[in-house]
This record gives sequence, structure tokens and C-alpha cells, in this order.
Amino acid sequence: MSEVALLQVIGLCVIGTGVSILLFVKARFVRVVGFVMIVLGLFSMTALGVPQMASLPPAEEKFDVANIKTASDMAAIGQKIFFSKGQCALCHSIGPSESARCPDLKGIGAKLSREFIFESLTQPQAYIYLDYRHEGPPKEYPARMPYINKNPIGLSKNEILSVIAFLQQMSGEPITVSPEEITQTAQATTPVAIAHAQ
Amino acid sequence: MMNQGDDPTGGTAGEQGRGAWLAGLLVFLALGVMPLVGLAQDVPAASATAYRDIPGLGSRNMVWVVAQLHLLLAGFVLGVPIFAWLCEIVGWKTGEKRYDKLAKEFTKLLTSSYATTALFGGILLFLLIGFYPKLMNYLADVFFPSFIVYCLLFLVETATLYLYWYGWDAMQDSKKGLHLFLGFLLNVFAFFIMIVPNSWATFQASPVVISEGTDLQRAWAATWNPTWWPVNIHRLIANVVLGGYICGAYAGIRYLSAKNEEEREHYDWMGYVGNFIGVFGLLPLPFAGYWLMREIYQYNQQMGITLMGGFLSWLFILQAMLIGVLFLGSNYYFWLGITHRIPGSEVKYRKPMMAMLIILLLCLGVWMTPHSLVASLEEARKMGGTHHPLLGVFGVMSAKMTVANLMILVTFMSFIMYWRAGKEETATWAKVARSLMGGVLGVAAIVVIVLGVWGYFVPAIVRINYFSVAQVLIVLFVMLTITPLTALLLRSAKTTTEMVWGKMPPRAGYALVLNAVMVILLMTLMGYARSSSRVHWHIYGVMRDSSQYAYSPALGYAAAFMSLNTFLFCMLVAFIFWVATMGDKAKANDAGGKGHGAQGTLPAMAGGAPALDERK
Repeated sequence: MSEVALLQVIGLCVIGTGVSILLFVKARFVRVVGFVMIVLGLFSMTALGVPQMASLPPAEEKFDVANIKTASDMAAIGQKIFFSKGQCALCHSIGPSESARCPDLKGIGAKLSREFIFESLTQPQAYIYLDYRHEGPPKEYPARMPYINKNPIGLSKNEILSVIAFLQQMSGEPITVSPEEITQTAQATTPVAIAHAQ
Repeated sequence: MMNQGDDPTGGTAGEQGRGAWLAGLLVFLALGVMPLVGLAQDVPAASATAYRDIPGLGSRNMVWVVAQLHLLLAGFVLGVPIFAWLCEIVGWKTGEKRYDKLAKEFTKLLTSSYATTALFGGILLFLLIGFYPKLMNYLADVFFPSFIVYCLLFLVETATLYLYWYGWDAMQDSKKGLHLFLGFLLNVFAFFIMIVPNSWATFQASPVVISEGTDLQRAWAATWNPTWWPVNIHRLIANVVLGGYICGAYAGIRYLSAKNEEEREHYDWMGYVGNFIGVFGLLPLPFAGYWLMREIYQYNQQMGITLMGGFLSWLFILQAMLIGVLFLGSNYYFWLGITHRIPGSEVKYRKPMMAMLIILLLCLGVWMTPHSLVASLEEARKMGGTHHPLLGVFGVMSAKMTVANLMILVTFMSFIMYWRAGKEETATWAKVARSLMGGVLGVAAIVVIVLGVWGYFVPAIVRINYFSVAQVLIVLFVMLTITPLTALLLRSAKTTTEMVWGKMPPRAGYALVLNAVMVILLMTLMGYARSSSRVHWHIYGVMRDSSQYAYSPALGYAAAFMSLNTFLFCMLVAFIFWVATMGDKAKANDAGGKGHGAQGTLPAMAGGAPALDERK
């Protein structure tokens, strides 16, 4: 018996019990319980009558440095990190977007050097001008950009390099990060789960 | 007992044999939750453990049931103080003791539910820590300061509730102002108790990137996520609706089992107040829901599409059905009231009631029309496309927004009709006022329909940002114009037919129960929608759910759980109310036995202060 059929049988039993209560029981409260059972049974039966679609998660991929052979491999992994663990797409868009809360990154790989991008990701305050619009010593502007290499995002150096490779590739630039730069440390050889982009 | 580390065990493993779950869960609940929770906690904590599970029952199912019961109870205990306090103010201002008595009866239900709510909250916390340690570690890391705030709020809320409830009789006269202030504080604390955990749940759905900073700064940044305030407002209104309809259902059941005229009169009136509060909250609720949905789309279009056009799209047809039944049930109760409480009104209002019924049913039909039917190739060919040539027109948002607004207008007019029934306006300007109200209503309905039709021919962004908003504002304008105008008109009106309480047929009690069940089902349904919109993420786009329960079950399976949760909640509330009123019944019987029959038969109400129990 399929799951839907089983649930339909249960639903019918619930409705049947409710109807029996209303037919044969006099006690007021029990009759109300019977009435509630009928309503709930009917609701369940209706829900079982519409198309049954479950939402299955996409397969989870591993970031295994042993499999990285080319710069394009790195960029492909960087793209996945960009849209998942790196959380970049929570604020940045690639191309104009009304809902993006932070700068559009389209073409960013052509505008900025890889060193500058790396520094922007790991030290977001480095080139932020100080705020003098108040009395006393100047203050730093609050950096809305988080430190990507620290918690809660906490990308490793390899992952950041992969993201840079992706940013360069999607900007039509040659990828200047080479697979040899991926350090074969004990940490890096551990597969890292990467979720598919939405 | 199973531990699961970071490695996923496969997304669909849990699908098999899920149907056996409901029966298993019932047995499990019968055996008691706590021993199994103990089992889950026996496992030594390991930092690598991401998930724990109880095979056969499933961690997600257990959390689903307990979280839902906790949320429903919480909705009730946070919604009731709002109108209990308002009733007390009305009683104080008008001098009508029955309102004060009603407020106290509401508060009595609140005090007895409060501890159970906290109990389920505690169980939920243990289950979450046990089953989802990785997620809870993350949330604790981000939100720890607000955990502390939450605990402090609970302390002051509990202390205020004790003072409010136990000080009711003692503060009746000279200290009434202080008592009202306590009621105000109770609601302020309750509001914050609601919005603090809302920040945790909304952060899971719409996380923001958290920059470096102190713990407080990080928690604050995460709290101010895009859906926090829309959910706060939506839940606040929904809690009032839930509380009102549950109190109405309580009154309905007590009315059905009433043993004398006095009880019937009291619980008929209480049922009316409960239904009125429910409808009062129900009218603006779709607007709050619309705002929430709009914010979700703005935050992440993909999430919005998953909800409205993806695998959850059929859920909104079920939602339309439940809301439609709720509107029908609420209106039906008003119409029963006009027919049975106001002798002679039946003939006068039969035609308007029939017209309203037809409009409501037509609107419901449109609201329930699916946008795209799941059809075979052959069926699609016969229809001439995936959208039915006729029905497809009604399946789009423009049509649905229009009928939702029309249903709100009809329900509002039902209430106005009930309000004016049995009275004759004597003001010199009554005729002008009536014409004005009729004109406002007619023009509003036409404009709402015109905007709805026009919405088909403009880009979606224009419809969403301007037309839909205009429709909502028009309906609000109608309510804000006609309500004070009617109040002014009735101030000098002559009562031609006195309202007779306690004459409602038994089906009125069942209608109140039906309304409460619909609201509870709606809350369980939308809880599933909110949770499923995150698809396979614990925290959307940030922390992936890599457990075996990362999938969202189909509607049929989910609906079975919703029904189970609704049933358990109803039974739980019935038990709590039964326990809460047990002492009063004994008191009433005792008083009856001592020869105070007339007064002693009044049960349960307001803790039995004799001075308050005098009939008005």
C-alpha cells in the first residue's frame, strides 16, 4: 500500500469515527470531539487529493582538492562556494539587481587584482576611509562586509582562492590563480561539503 | 538512537515508510515523550555530531509536533492578554461588571495555559539541543545575548501575570488604575517575548551577513533581518485571532453543555465576544500576510517562487479553502446572531444575508482556483494549454487579491449589519450618513474590482507595488470610515428590539468550534509553508540541512501531521480549561448545596468573586 493510500485509509477511519460519535453518542463534549475529527479528516483527505510533490534536496558535492586539475575546476568550485557556504550571494549580485544590498560584482575580476580581492575578503576595513563627521578622533565606518576567513562564514584560503578564480572567470579575464597554489594541507585534503546553488 | 556527523546519509532515505509514522507517533505519545528524550541525551556529546535521531520516530517529526504545540499555545497566551486587558478597560470605563468578569475569565484561561506553554517550550529546547546540536551551536553563537534577554522577559512576564491575576479582586476599587497598568505591562512584555524568538526563526529564513563586532552587535544585526518585522506584525494579529476564536470555541462548548438559562446567556455572549475578536483580527490579517510575502520576494525571489509558484503552490489553494471556511463560519455566526438574538430580524435581513453568502462563495471559488493545473499531455491539449482557458483567468494573483478584499468587505458589512440590527437611527442626519456609507461601500467595491481587472494588463511590478496596495488601502479606508460613522449613528439610536441572549441553536456552538479549528489548521499549514520555504537549508543559504530529513514532505503527509497537531492542541486546551474550571464548578455546587441556588449555579466565571457574579 502506498503512503498516500495508507493516509487516505487513516483519514477515512477518522471521519468514520467522528460520524459514528455524532450518530450514537449523546455526551456533548464527545460529540464536539467527533465533529472536530470529521473536520480534520476532511481537511486531510482534501490535502491528499491535490498533486503530491515533495521537495528533495540536491546532491551535496565535495570540495576535494585532489580532484582539482585546472583553473576552470577551481572556478567551478568557487562558483558553488559563492552561492552557498561563502554567502556572497546573500548581498551581492552578478549583474544589476533591485534586491541586491551590496555592490554588483559583475566584471569585478577585471577591475580589481587578485591581491586586492583577497585583501577585501579577509580585511574588509583595509581601504575604508575614516569618518570625520563628528567631534573627537575619527572613527572607522562600520564595515558591512564581513571577514570571510573568520566565523561564522570561515572560508579557508583554498576556498577564497577558488572564489577569486570564479570572479575572474565570470569577468572574462584569464584566471591568475593556479591549481598549484592550493595547499595540500591535512585540513585542505579533508572534503568540504558544498551546497548547490539555488 | 543514531548520531550523524557532517557526512550526509542521503537526502531521501527517510521517505520510505513515512506513512507508518502517524501510528508510531501516536503510540510514542501515549508512552510519553520524556523517556525517549532521555535516550537521546544518553549519547555523549561529541563536537562532530551534527544530528541525532531516534529511528522509527524521527527527530524532525518529534520536533514538528512539539514545536507546533508550543507555538500554538504561545500564540494563545500572547493573544489573550491583549483582549482581556481591552475588556477590562471597557468594563472600567462603562461600569459594566460583565466586561470585567469576562476579562477575568479570559485571564483565568491564560494563567492555566501559561505553564503548559513554558513546559512545551522547555521540551522543545531539549529536543533541539539533542537533535540539532550543530545548528543550535550556531544560533547560540549568534543570538546568545538575546537568549539572556528572553529569559529576563520571561521572569518579568511571569511576575506581572501573577500580580495581574492574583491581584484582580484586591485591586478592584481604588487600585484599579494600578491593575490596568499591570495589564498594560503584561502586554508589553508579552510582545517582546514574541518578537525575540521571532528573530531567531526569521533569521533562519532570511539571514543577513554578520560582520565582526561585539556579541550584542552581532545579535542585533542578525535580529534586524528583512522578514523580522513583517512576521512580528503578522503573528501579533494572528495571535489575537487565535485567542479570540479559541475563547469563542470554549464559550461554544460551554454553551452546548449549559445546564440553565443563566449559563446559556453568559456563554452565548462570551461566544459572540470571542467571534467578534477573531473577526476583528481576521480582517487586517491578509494585509499583514501580503506584506510578509512581499518582503520575502524582495529578500529572495527564489524563495518567493518556491512558495507561490513552486512545489508549495498547492498549499495556497488549501490555505484559501481554510480562510474561506473561516470567513463563511464567522459570517454564518453573525447571521445566526441576527436571526436568533434579534427577534423579527430574520425576514428583514434574509435577502442581504443570501446576497452576502453568494458573494462569499463566488469569491472563495476564485480564490481556490489553481494557477496551473497538473495535467497530462492529453488533458493539456484538450484544455488548450496548461492553464484552463476559463479558470486560468481566476488563478492569478490579481484575481485572488481582488476576491480577498471583497470577502473582507463582505465580512465587515456582516458585522455592521449585526451591529445595526434591532435599532432605529433617530439622528437627523441618519439618512445622509446611510447614503454616504452605502456610497463609500459601493464605490470601494467597484474600484477594487476595476483595479483587479486592470491588474491583468500591467506589468507585475506595477500591480504588486501600486494596484494591490491601493486595494488594501481602499478596504482599510472603508473600515475606518464606516466604523466611526456607525458608532456615531447608533449613539442616539433607539433600540426597537432588545438583544436576547441564550437563544442560539446548537449549530452556533459548532460554528464557533469550526472557526477555532480552521484558525489552528491555518497556523499549522503556514508553519509548514514557512519551514518548507527554506527547502534544504537550516539557515537559508548559510547552513545546509544535511540530515536525512532535508527534504520537505508532500502536502498529504504534511496535512496528516497538521491534523494530528491540531487535534492534540485542541485536546490539550480542553484538558487545561477543564482543570482550570474544576474548582469553580465545585465551588458553584457547594454554594448551590448551601441554598444559594440562583447565584451558585453560575459556574467557572471569573474565579467566583460574589460581588462580580451579580447579574447585570
